[in-house]
Amino acid sequence: MILSEPASDLVRISLARITHSPNRINRLPSLHTNRMAGATDIKVQEVREITRIERIGAHSHIRGLGLDDALEARNVSQGMVGQTEARKAAGIIMEMIKEAKIAGRAVLIAGHPGTGKTAIAMGMAQALGTDTPFTSVAGSEIFSLEMSKTEALTQAFRRSIGVRIKEETEIIEGEVVEIQIDRPATGTGAKVGKLTLKTTEMETIYDLGQKMIESLTKEKVQAGDIITIDKATGKITKLGRSFTRARDYDAMGPQTKFVQCPEGELQKRKEVVHTVTLHEIDVINSRTQGFLALFSGKYTGFLALFSGDTGEIKGEVREQINAKVAEWREEGKSEIVPGVLFIDEVHMLDIECFSFLNRALESDLAPILIMATNRGITRIRGTQYQSPHGIPIDLLDRLLIISTNPYEEKEIKQILKIRCEEEDVEMSDDAMTVLTRIGMETSLRYAIQLITTASLVCRKRKGAEVDVDDIKRVYSLFLDESRSTQFLKEYQQEFMFNELGMDTMETT
Amino acid sequence: MASTWLEKLKSSQKTCLIQDGRRKIHFTFSDGTELAEEYDAQTWELIIRKWKKKGTLGAAEKWEFEVGEQLGPKNLEMEGFIESSSNPVFLRKDIKDAFQWRIRNLPYPIDTYSVTVDPDTHTLAIRTTNKKYFKKFTIPDMERTQLPLDEKKINLAHANNTLIITYKKPQEILKMEKVLHEEFKKMKAMKDGDVDCTPS
Repeated sequence: MILSEPASDLVRISLARITHSPNRINRLPSLHTNRMAGATDIKVQEVREITRIERIGAHSHIRGLGLDDALEARNVSQGMVGQTEARKAAGIIMEMIKEAKIAGRAVLIAGHPGTGKTAIAMGMAQALGTDTPFTSVAGSEIFSLEMSKTEALTQAFRRSIGVRIKEETEIIEGEVVEIQIDRPATGTGAKVGKLTLKTTEMETIYDLGQKMIESLTKEKVQAGDIITIDKATGKITKLGRSFTRARDYDAMGPQTKFVQCPEGELQKRKEVVHTVTLHEIDVINSRTQGFLALFSGKYTGFLALFSGDTGEIKGEVREQINAKVAEWREEGKSEIVPGVLFIDEVHMLDIECFSFLNRALESDLAPILIMATNRGITRIRGTQYQSPHGIPIDLLDRLLIISTNPYEEKEIKQILKIRCEEEDVEMSDDAMTVLTRIGMETSLRYAIQLITTASLVCRKRKGAEVDVDDIKRVYSLFLDESRSTQFLKEYQQEFMFNELGMDTMETT
Repeated sequence: MASTWLEKLKSSQKTCLIQDGRRKIHFTFSDGTELAEEYDAQTWELIIRKWKKKGTLGAAEKWEFEVGEQLGPKNLEMEGFIESSSNPVFLRKDIKDAFQWRIRNLPYPIDTYSVTVDPDTHTLAIRTTNKKYFKKFTIPDMERTQLPLDEKKINLAHANNTLIITYKKPQEILKMEKVLHEEFKKMKAMKDGDVDCTPS
């Protein structure tokens, strides 16, 4: 911390003040009417953000693989339960990825439905962090009318290889003197705004667009903050508050950092290191420019409109980029970050895709490929041949296979507990035992789906925690897969088109 | 040296076009950088000189104006945020025997401004005593020919809210420009308008 002793005193005083006058923000001396509109605007945003509910996904409780330093799986950790063998295996694959030496290894996670295959893949993605590219696709995504199967696979491969490179960007760095946001009197329509920034040497006024106003309000930027704006992306970073404002008895938390007002020009060029994927470089370089843009600058914006999605990328472009990346690597300008490509439901791929994978895995720019399937011995798509997991033997031979096992009762209970926490549901012990029983007899997914439904039933009867009765109620309301099958078998005669006399519906 | 710059221009791919009384020349260098110049067809006054460089990843960046300015409106929504039109506008607009910069929207009296030369970084700096405007800039022509900057050659003038900075061109620059103009005159220029199509 750069705070000196008296400054931290100030922080404490200001903290005391804030409790007495929560509306202080409107009484700053330099405020005039327009600023006030902006300030109240910020307040409204704040209230909305507190009440905003995070969306909960099927795997949002997973934060990692749950391994210790010796790669031993802890029984319950980071949202993961059981599957210790599979997780340990995944941990070893992780080490391989982190070392980044070996290209083109492939892993298959095989197991029954609902045994945590996707969860393990998600855990790996979480544990690798944001700097390692992790691409997740479903097997059926490959089949698109816009591009060939191999193109879609190639793009997925190249999305999973990162290149860490230094780039020069233009940033604006200064102290906020004034931020003024005007809303139209009618209440609807675009807001207009002005932002005045200064350094020790100069001052500049900027006109703000809609997006910029939104991100300024989101970052809660106010007069006296030192901010940087990335000119190309418009990203705002708050560096701290100006030292000259340290004496304002203003609302500020103990973590407020004080920084000096920047010197020199507002606009600066700065070198930043970031990771881009090979696919992104491909896209940038396959955009074509028209001759129109040559002599009149005003057409450039117009042309940018048409350079969106590119569809298929030419082979020559990729070759050029591979050569360029190799050159950068030799010159020490960049570093290759091999990532992970995860293909879920891999049995949906057909024989052409599999033979393409055989070939693609041999390239030295291949990522680690992780596939997941829940099929046993089945037909390979596009052929008449049967094969384990619906994958040709020659590809299977190149894979490291991790298998997941059905959960035990104790583990199911643990997972349901974690999900209850994630979905913010209180459940009594009895109800939990019943739900675990249901999970054992039907499926884990069905039991998880009953959590939120039961909690809604409980809330309707104004109960504090989910009871056995609530579980019973939703269990009777919603059929699981086996009861539904049973029902169909019994009442088959009553359904439509049954009189045609077909024994079973044709499903291929 | 002046000769290396001339060689670089000579080795580039050039297109020439006469349009609206301007001689427009477009250069493409071996590294993909583009340079576009516009001269007054009669007086050979340089109106626009702009550069377009390739980004590190191969993306084309916007035109950077070395001389002249981009006309036409800027779209606020597309850019996200732009400098307000009431801010000082800095642009270079050369005259025959001097480099000249004009900074519009600077209402302060002339004794507010000072221009200094930093010989180490080959930059000039404009400062204001009221801390309202500050800018560091280079003279790319002088950098390309590796000539030293001389503070005595700077002249300041202020009128109509505009600060005019003039820097006398040295003999070497004047000579080089003359050679260049002779070269450009030799280039075959496309004429704008209907293509000549005499039926045979």
